[in-house]
Amino acid sequence: MAKKQLITVKVNGREREAAVEARLLLVHFIRESLQLTGTHIGCDTSHCGACTVVLNGKTVKSCTMFAVQADGGEILTVEGLASSAGQLHALQEGFKQEHGLQCGFCTPGMLMSSYALLHSNPNPSEEEIRWGISGNLCRCTGYQNIVSAVQHAAAKMAKAGSEANLAEGVAK
Amino acid sequence: MALKIEKTFEVPEPVEKVWAFLSDPRMVATCVPGAQITAQVDEKTYKGAIKVKVGPSITDYTGEVQIVRLDTENHEIEILGKGQDVRGRGSASMKMTGTLRALDNSGTEVRSVSEIGVVGILAQMGSRVITEVSNIMFGEFTKNFQARLKEPSDDPAAPATGADVKPIKATAVAWQATKGLFRGKSESGS
Amino acid sequence: MGHSVKRKEDLRFIQGKGNYVDDVNLPGMVYGQVVRSPYAHARINSINTEKAKAVPGVLAVITGEDLAKANLAWMPTLSYDKQMVLATGKVLFQSQEVAFVVAEDRYIAADAAELVEVDYEELPVLVDPNKALDSGAPLVREDREQKNNHIFHWEVGNREATEQVFQSAEVRASVKAFFPRCHPAPLETCGCVADFSRATGRLTVYLTSQAPHAHRTVLALVGGIPENNIRVISPDIGGGFGNKVPVYPGYVCAVVASLTLGVPVKWIETRSENLQSTGFARDYHMMAEIASDRDGRMKALRVKTLADHGAFNATAQPTKFPAGLFSICTGSYEYAQAFCEVDGVYTNKAPGGVAYRCSFRVTEAAYLIERVVDVLALELKMDPAELRLKNFIPEDKFPYKSSLGWTYDSGNYEGAMKLALDRIGYQELRKEQAEKRKKGELMGIGISSFTEIVGAGPSHDFDILGIKMFDSCEIRVHPTGKAMARMGTKSQGQGHETTYAQIVAQELGIPAGDVTIEEGDTDTAPYGLGTYASRSTPTSGAATAVAARKIRDKAKKIAAYLLECNENDLEWEPGKFFVKGAPSKSKTIQDIAFAAYTNFPPGMEPGLEAVDYYDPPNLTFPFGTYICVVDIDQGTGEVKVRRFLAVDDCGNIINPMIVEGQIHGGLTEGLAIAFMQQIDYDESGNVQGGSFMDYLLPTAVETPHWETDKTCTPCPHHPFGAKGVGESPNVGSPAAFVNAVVDALSHLGVKHIDMPITPWKVWKVLQEKGVAA
Repeated sequence: MAKKQLITVKVNGREREAAVEARLLLVHFIRESLQLTGTHIGCDTSHCGACTVVLNGKTVKSCTMFAVQADGGEILTVEGLASSAGQLHALQEGFKQEHGLQCGFCTPGMLMSSYALLHSNPNPSEEEIRWGISGNLCRCTGYQNIVSAVQHAAAKMAKAGSEANLAEGVAK
Repeated sequence: MALKIEKTFEVPEPVEKVWAFLSDPRMVATCVPGAQITAQVDEKTYKGAIKVKVGPSITDYTGEVQIVRLDTENHEIEILGKGQDVRGRGSASMKMTGTLRALDNSGTEVRSVSEIGVVGILAQMGSRVITEVSNIMFGEFTKNFQARLKEPSDDPAAPATGADVKPIKATAVAWQATKGLFRGKSESGS
Repeated sequence: MGHSVKRKEDLRFIQGKGNYVDDVNLPGMVYGQVVRSPYAHARINSINTEKAKAVPGVLAVITGEDLAKANLAWMPTLSYDKQMVLATGKVLFQSQEVAFVVAEDRYIAADAAELVEVDYEELPVLVDPNKALDSGAPLVREDREQKNNHIFHWEVGNREATEQVFQSAEVRASVKAFFPRCHPAPLETCGCVADFSRATGRLTVYLTSQAPHAHRTVLALVGGIPENNIRVISPDIGGGFGNKVPVYPGYVCAVVASLTLGVPVKWIETRSENLQSTGFARDYHMMAEIASDRDGRMKALRVKTLADHGAFNATAQPTKFPAGLFSICTGSYEYAQAFCEVDGVYTNKAPGGVAYRCSFRVTEAAYLIERVVDVLALELKMDPAELRLKNFIPEDKFPYKSSLGWTYDSGNYEGAMKLALDRIGYQELRKEQAEKRKKGELMGIGISSFTEIVGAGPSHDFDILGIKMFDSCEIRVHPTGKAMARMGTKSQGQGHETTYAQIVAQELGIPAGDVTIEEGDTDTAPYGLGTYASRSTPTSGAATAVAARKIRDKAKKIAAYLLECNENDLEWEPGKFFVKGAPSKSKTIQDIAFAAYTNFPPGMEPGLEAVDYYDPPNLTFPFGTYICVVDIDQGTGEVKVRRFLAVDDCGNIINPMIVEGQIHGGLTEGLAIAFMQQIDYDESGNVQGGSFMDYLLPTAVETPHWETDKTCTPCPHHPFGAKGVGESPNVGSPAAFVNAVVDALSHLGVKHIDMPITPWKVWKVLQEKGVAA
């Protein structure tokens, strides 16, 4: 039996611990050890981005990392986007409203890339969105509605942000 | 996948000395990175092996090297090497023609034309990488060839044993190759 | 119907709660991995599995020899050929399946697969289909009686009459057009979980399948397992595009392993395996010739094609049509005479051919005709739009019987073309092009006016492996007025859970949100032939409407009983029956549903449900005109798609949002095919394009903005006039792209450039013509 080492990773806000082989890919750790199957595998050359998750604030292709490399880190997967009460994230709403998905296989990766994009650039242009998701391949949608979905979410988040500011202002 | 590589280089040694070296596959093998001659079958045929490492993946080819033509008068040799991957993941072959020409400065010009064929998983990795890797291996061969000839000993040096044979680290080679691609360098004659 | 209802299935996908085959996790499940051949053509001298078997955690290593004992080393293909499951004797293409390793986890299986030693003896390789029929060509298939590489010869039309027209033709134009081998590459690769339970004696297979029932029947016939003891479940599928129609060796090996070991066996292929061994698309070497008069009235069409099928004929084809529906190559035009012949050959390449939204070879046919019509336009020095308008089948001639035997149901090619020309601003674009040419700049406009042929198909002509190509729907209405419907098709992203519900909503007035749609479980869904070739709406969509109408008929009787009147006094509006002239006297469908269980007429069978197996009377013929505008960078040869307008006519539309999404996706695939993709083989049979490093998919950056529009010419024989549309963009777009590039260069004497039109190819042409920057 291959040697295993203990790793601790915070996933979607929860501390998870597991004994893993050094060669276990992060994507397999997420999908099989943690049973979070929202993150998908679409290729074997790091091109497709279906395995995209957010690790320590940055998007990574989890198929190109070992689980042990994430030891002590913090991961956000698609399962962690909605609130604990089940309220969908603005991006998830956007994808549904704008028909930004068909078969759904690239969607978790797209959501995570878009999430990171909007975090660093809350008001991206169409060109910036297309560059922002250029590491995620999709066969079904032709990307057009995905761009609309991200724009929809950006607008929604901006509005919520300004409403929150307004509320704060009023509260003051 | 078929590649043709033509290389011409100079050695500051007299043509007869170079010929003695070139016409002995055991000597030539010592210059090819990762290669060794393991046995002699008859006067024209040898068994050999070469180890190529790309990242964590090692490909071991074993096969035969045959002297197809030996023209001592004109200093021309044609050898044919064919090998199969021991794990059944492919095969490779190389037909090399080497011609020597004496130079005025009492050195020798070595001209080689090699036709390389690769079948299998390695060939899928892209002809670009294979071409550049072959070029770099050839570069190493040239360096080793020149260095071996400079060595004072004229005892046909004992063929390298398995322990001495360092497999060519093709990751380093491949990285060089990729850099080469971007720099627009091309030494390939293919 | 006709509304852009948001999709119900989205809820689970956006939360990462889809249930794809690789998400299936069963207790005791083990993993399989295939060992593949590195050689394109080689004899197998021996296979040594001892080292692999010795790895701790390995449960089995299966070879062709093992399978041969159970008569399973070969299996039938969907084209009445046979295919090796695991190689015996020799291997016929690089990456062919040679052994199957089963282990406790996928890492151990991978370790063990590396240790399987195969002694191969290389054989001469055949990769050029043009040489396949030469007398000295390597023989690919020793197992056939016929000792050559010829699979079939197929022809249709009148050879002599067509020849006659060509003899007296004033103008002849021809083109040799190659449609390269490419691959649909859905984002989810193929795979399965085969679960044979020793407790129940049943085999359950979770399968990436576009046709679960057909696969169940094939498994029963091949495996000798009683069909009632097989359950195929096609859960969520991450894209199909025809790639998930064939039965792959990996499936059979996983089933065999599960039967032998009595535990669930999961097999999921890698992307490289997917690109190198599963159903590819196209690889048609075509030649077309048009005979025309000087004024551009086309008279006859002649087509000759060489089809490269790879090592086994594993195309998914209706039996009667070894070249699929290729004879739609007369396209949108009238030809007094036409003749078409296709020859299929074997080569040392992966098997397949029908995939990537091709509608059974319609992509090849549409590309060919739209290319050769442009070549004729060039020859006649006529505007390509004008030439097409001159030759379109006029609207009043439908139903139209083409000279190659198809009866087109309805069409209005002129309408789609005129709308497209108008919206793109065609005249202004031509003016711009003329000005740019004076300055030496390269700009092109490409038109493609395609006709599709989908909805396979009527039982008198269509079957796959003998099973007729009807499809089905079963609807059951619950006491509280909600409903559940199941179909024999299987969505891989087409939005069936929403669109079928919309059909039921339209026909019965039950809100779409109250109708649950299920597909893919062969234990519960009625028998169908699956989803591909844009057939779902024409077949199961029709079945849904017909089943709903059967329910409505019964509902009417119940309503009459409840309202104490005669059936004939009732009128229907979606959701309720009311008495003619007394609209307040009404019963909603919900009232009726409740009554069906609690208060039904004496003597009537209780309940409210119906099933329909729909045998379509004909195929349907969606069509459209696509216009593409390109600018060519003279320094790099890069083609920039400036604008692309797709005008589609698929008859009555169920959900415009979903149709538009399909068009976007298909155009993006067409773009990839035209400019970026090819699965090629070198002279030793090594695959060049066997991973995403070399097989390119467009990202959001390469993909342009797509403009869409529509006309509506309902299908006269479909219950709600719909035609199907999923593949139209793949059918129509390659020609639009290529025509645009050629149009940009035609003034320099360029007549044709084969796909993929890479910047390198264009740059070479620019160099040759002296216009490179």
